[in-house]
Amino acid sequence: MSLRAVFEQHPERRYIMFGGKGGLGKTTFSAATAYWLARQGKRVLVFSVDPQASLSDIFQQNIFGKGPVQITENLWAQEIDADQRIKAYQDEIRQKILDMYGFERVPEEIENYITAASAEPAMEESAIFDAVVDIVVQGDYDYYIYDLVPLGHALYYLSMAKVYDEWITKITKLREEMREYDRVASVLRRQKELEEDKILNELQYIRGRISASSAILTDKRKTAFFFVLVPEEMILIDTRKAAELFARFDVPISGYVVNRVVPPELAQANVPEYLRNRIAMQQKYLAEIRQTFGNEVLAYVPELERDVTGLPAIERLAGIMYGS
Amino acid sequence: MAGEKRGGLLGLLDNFKEIFYGMASHDMTRYAIRTRASMEHLFILITMGDLLGVPILPPYYSLRLLPYVVPQISTWKRRMLREKDLTDAMA
Repeated sequence: MSLRAVFEQHPERRYIMFGGKGGLGKTTFSAATAYWLARQGKRVLVFSVDPQASLSDIFQQNIFGKGPVQITENLWAQEIDADQRIKAYQDEIRQKILDMYGFERVPEEIENYITAASAEPAMEESAIFDAVVDIVVQGDYDYYIYDLVPLGHALYYLSMAKVYDEWITKITKLREEMREYDRVASVLRRQKELEEDKILNELQYIRGRISASSAILTDKRKTAFFFVLVPEEMILIDTRKAAELFARFDVPISGYVVNRVVPPELAQANVPEYLRNRIAMQQKYLAEIRQTFGNEVLAYVPELERDVTGLPAIERLAGIMYGS
Repeated sequence: MAGEKRGGLLGLLDNFKEIFYGMASHDMTRYAIRTRASMEHLFILITMGDLLGVPILPPYYSLRLLPYVVPQISTWKRRMLREKDLTDAMA
């Protein structure tokens, strides 16, 4: 099975993700895949959910916080500016409080809470998480390519999504029960109007947002998740562990892509021992990879002589990954 | 219940019914309100759990709920509730 075959045989898989440890090539592969699909005539959006995004670097233009930016025909790229979004959101909340209670100023404790909550590390991630919902719900594109955060955080998202969904279900049930009590109390007091539980509506809205995003991640039909690794011991160990975790969270792995493979032909020429050793080491781990993952490995991508930045290099990589 | 008032003994019986119904519903109301109040507290604990260091909702979303729990944040409750709540008197 090849990368190309996965796409050709499964055109319904429109949400594409490359996951794995940081620095192994996720962004590069995301960009190359996006490029290839765009050349096939598909409308593609590649977007980054990493606060330290590198799509701007790879496309060699600053797209940070600018919404979807067209890179080339059929290809758009987006880097979400979480800070900007959080600030705008805080102002919305402040304004809502002023409107609801007729205050002149937001009370001090409330303001402190707003500031403290926004300083939490999870705030940035959850803001991006929410921004992604907007992106995918809009549905303008044929393909959505998520340039994911390094592995650990992606798993955090997934586990949290499940936890949050369960909590929200509990809280919503609780609020619905409270509403029932309200109804009883008001009938007894012979009130005509029922107080609408706005909080219940908010919770349902929130639950909808969280489900929309995590549902995509776990939808076997619509999602293709590719695991990126390199032939090195630690990475191999981590990849095996991660594969187990992903199975537990029901994230469907479409296949593995091995990056940074030093061309073995080099071992034949008159090369320094350093390189010969590296190649030998890689051969050893490549054999392990083949043994562990078998034909789930979709591609072996060579270590190129230069870094992949700019469209010509991306085009070249797309050719290697998908054939021309 | 509403409508023509009956005279004599039957009229008295109607009155008793009204009073009895009122007393029973009063008790039920109190119960309903008290139980709701304890659920409100639970609700606050759940959603504002991060004040206690327990992450429950993603911070982005718990912020969204903040405007609704403003009156329940205790110091504000004291300052904001001028009129005596009937339930406080009953409790």
